[in-house]
Amino acid sequence: MKWVNIIRDRLRALRQRETVINEIDREMRSHVELQVEANIRAGMSPREAREHAMRTFGNVNRAVDAAYDVKGGGFFETLLQDIRYGARMLAKHRAFTIIAVITLALGIGANTAIFSVVNELLLRPLPFRDADRIVMLWEVNPEGRHQNSASRANYRAWRAQTSSYQYLAAFSYQRYNLTGNGEPEELSVQFATPDLFKVLGVDPLLGRTFLPDDDGDGKPPVAVLSYALWQRRFGGQPSIVGQPITLNGVKYTVIGVMPSNFQFHMKQRSGTGRPPDLWSILPMPLDSNERGRFLATVARLKDGVTVEHADAELRTIAARLADEFPQFNKNFSAEVLPLREQFFGNVRRPLWLMLGAVGFVLLIACANVANLLLSLATTREKEIAVRAALGARRGRIVRQLLTESILLALFGSVLGLFFAWLGIKALVAISPRDLVSLQTVGLNVTVLLWTLGVSLLTGIIFGLAPAFHISRLNLNDSLKEGGKSEAGQATGSRRLRNALVVSEIALAVVLLASAGLLIRSFIRLQQVDRGFQTDNILTMVVRLPESYKEDPQVIGFFSQALEKVRQLPTVRSAGIVNFLPLYGGMGSSTGFKILGQPEPPPGEGPGCDVRVVDADYFPTMGIPLLRGRNFSRAELREPKHVILINEALARTYFSGTEPIGQRLDVLMFDTPQPAEIIGVVGNVRYDSLIDESPPAVYFPHPDLTYSFMTLVIRTDGDPTAIAPAVQREIRTLDPNQPVSDVRTMNQVMSEWVSRSRFNTLLLGLFAGLATLLSAVGIFGVMNYSVALRTREIGLRLAVGAQPRQVLLLVLRQGLLLTIVGVVLGLAAAFALTRLLASLLFGIGAVDTTTFTTISILLVIVSLLACYLPARRAMRIDPLRALRYE
Amino acid sequence: MAKNKADLLQGTLDMLILRALSLGELHGYGVIQRIRQLSDEMLNVEQGSLYPALYRIEQKGWVSARWDVHDTGREAKFYKLTRTGRKQLETEEASWDRLVLAIAKVRQAT
Repeated sequence: MKWVNIIRDRLRALRQRETVINEIDREMRSHVELQVEANIRAGMSPREAREHAMRTFGNVNRAVDAAYDVKGGGFFETLLQDIRYGARMLAKHRAFTIIAVITLALGIGANTAIFSVVNELLLRPLPFRDADRIVMLWEVNPEGRHQNSASRANYRAWRAQTSSYQYLAAFSYQRYNLTGNGEPEELSVQFATPDLFKVLGVDPLLGRTFLPDDDGDGKPPVAVLSYALWQRRFGGQPSIVGQPITLNGVKYTVIGVMPSNFQFHMKQRSGTGRPPDLWSILPMPLDSNERGRFLATVARLKDGVTVEHADAELRTIAARLADEFPQFNKNFSAEVLPLREQFFGNVRRPLWLMLGAVGFVLLIACANVANLLLSLATTREKEIAVRAALGARRGRIVRQLLTESILLALFGSVLGLFFAWLGIKALVAISPRDLVSLQTVGLNVTVLLWTLGVSLLTGIIFGLAPAFHISRLNLNDSLKEGGKSEAGQATGSRRLRNALVVSEIALAVVLLASAGLLIRSFIRLQQVDRGFQTDNILTMVVRLPESYKEDPQVIGFFSQALEKVRQLPTVRSAGIVNFLPLYGGMGSSTGFKILGQPEPPPGEGPGCDVRVVDADYFPTMGIPLLRGRNFSRAELREPKHVILINEALARTYFSGTEPIGQRLDVLMFDTPQPAEIIGVVGNVRYDSLIDESPPAVYFPHPDLTYSFMTLVIRTDGDPTAIAPAVQREIRTLDPNQPVSDVRTMNQVMSEWVSRSRFNTLLLGLFAGLATLLSAVGIFGVMNYSVALRTREIGLRLAVGAQPRQVLLLVLRQGLLLTIVGVVLGLAAAFALTRLLASLLFGIGAVDTTTFTTISILLVIVSLLACYLPARRAMRIDPLRALRYE
Repeated sequence: MAKNKADLLQGTLDMLILRALSLGELHGYGVIQRIRQLSDEMLNVEQGSLYPALYRIEQKGWVSARWDVHDTGREAKFYKLTRTGRKQLETEEASWDRLVLAIAKVRQAT
């Protein structure tokens, strides 16, 4: 018991006891001396005087002890005594200690791991100066979609008319090719207005950030590097500041480098999910794109301005803008969102739910250990009775037992921290990619304090009931019984144990029900008819720089690339699309008019998604052509004003009539450009698997030329094997042309469901843990009950009961507990699973199938857990059992 | 029975100690002596009760203690009434007076 010595030595080292006692002793002695002197003055001889003084004073040691107790020195001594004694107890009951510590460690470890994530994402301040003063400003579109990008015109209006902000900045992501100085590389660039870094309150590591006049006309553009890019491409050379770099063929001057911990990134808006590699100034020309919505806006509130006030102000301005410019802003509103809400708003609820779930697991662990302690306590009855008989007060006994259980909890938390450490590593490994900052989660001081608090609380929770129970034992009975109690005598303790098991099962039911719901909706999500195939498809993004000035150059590049790719071995087909399905909600949508039908008022016409493709995109992705024909070769060479539409558009706007041959004016162009519908293809869930596909039109690449397109390549066998060959072909066309985001369609899909998978996996894990722990709990209780009833069962067997009847007797008892637990658990689940509603897909929060399945599962598990004790009861030898007493 | 006696003593003992100290700084032995003097030798506080009571009172902040040399040249720990101690003495004496008065009234009534 090394640690006991350590604690004892520590306390000794404090010299508390010696110092305090010496002082008391000194005072007592001075008291005696004063008495002696007084006696001498009264005429006694010195010897007589001393004897008399000592006699009047009485026992000096006892006086010192009494005084010492008052001085509070006794507290630590008692504690030390209790700890030493408790440690000895735990060492003696090794099997109990090991099971209890592991049980607690699982509960505490799971709690610590989840709390460390909660702490990181929801509690810790964001890494910006006064981060709670930073907000995002968004438009809300007429369909009520939040966090809609703002147009330049509206951003300008906000900037001019708001008074809530100290600084305001707009930004958007672009991807630019960095050339020169090694391999060409596609960078993720955050273009921002000059105040961005003032809004965030972050200083550069080297050089400077933007100045207001950096975007002046005729000045060379400037760039601020991210730490990662600086290290990767420029070897961390400080001399890079002031040097030129080439982006998309234009020279930029590097003015600064940001520190390594700086991260300001919105995955959903960046297209790739990659954090920015560099920052440059967002050009804000007054041109035809003034009304296009593509800006994100971030701002720092002035002192004393609340988010609510800013929000109300922005809404008022948005309403005014909608009145002033109905053709652009009708039915658009606006909103202000705190930065934390922006980053973590969508994970808050799942995280608190997870914390609640691990809380349940911990409660189950507590109930288990309390049960173990109760069983152990019965064997300690005599010991406790002797202590009580020797004069220990009840409070004293409770205190000692509580010290033991807290000691147990602390051991559990040490092992639990180790589990948590493993758990955090696992969590980070399986976490969805958009939880970027999860990479920094770890065991820090806050987390350790939390764990300490949790384990102290745990120790008290699971220790209190047994402690009070034992301390109330009837002294006489226990001493007389000689420590062996009959089943009937321990009614109180049996009731307590049963209650604990019932609550364990009920808690497990709640967790299992929640996990079951998530699992079922996850399966539904996988089975949903998404409208495209995912197997054997490789995707990659090619983004041509501005040097490809004319559309025919761009069209030519992609058709040549596709021709070459189609020649490669194992390639079955290859096509292009501007935005892949499930690609972070990227895509354009706009209004359209059906030629020959009356024109609706502005802002109220029909809308559709717009995608740009070639003919081979459809067979490659397995999207069926339902009517009409696909694009011809000629239509893929130059604009012929033809389009394909999806089934949703056909059904919504041409129900009963023939869409093919009709002409649509899709509002994507400066001048009306009607196009003829030549075919109808199947619906595809582009934005999410959850929502039905909206109406959509497909333009052939020449009609609406994008310079960045995604190649989709269907292969025989593993699609990733072809990636290097495709990249080689692209480079033979243009040696400076990089590709990016090389992923299989399965990966794209799996990333999209990653958050749902993450939640399902975690809750499933906790529910499994809960079930296991409650199985152990019911096993323990039944096993103990069989042990207590050995004599009774022996008697039954002796008077002719069949072993099978004994088996059933025990199973019935276990089953009864289980059923009570399941019923209570289901009642709680009905109330609680609605908290999950927002995480579910395709099923309600109260799902009969799920609830029935998990109930049956739990009953089976607990019957299995009861089986071993029951078999033991069946095999009791009546002769032995009766002689047992 | 023994317990009742101790309880009764504790409250009054605190008051007696505070009263003894209100007349000036004293060591433990001196407190016993002064209580005896003041009570015309009728109250004899035992040291076994005195010191725990003194320490409790000290923890409550009613007295402060320091080591000093006694006039006989011997060192002793001296206790002195603090300002809160003085207030406490007033409160305790007031409530004691009320109690005595009440008991007297009850007794006169019979």
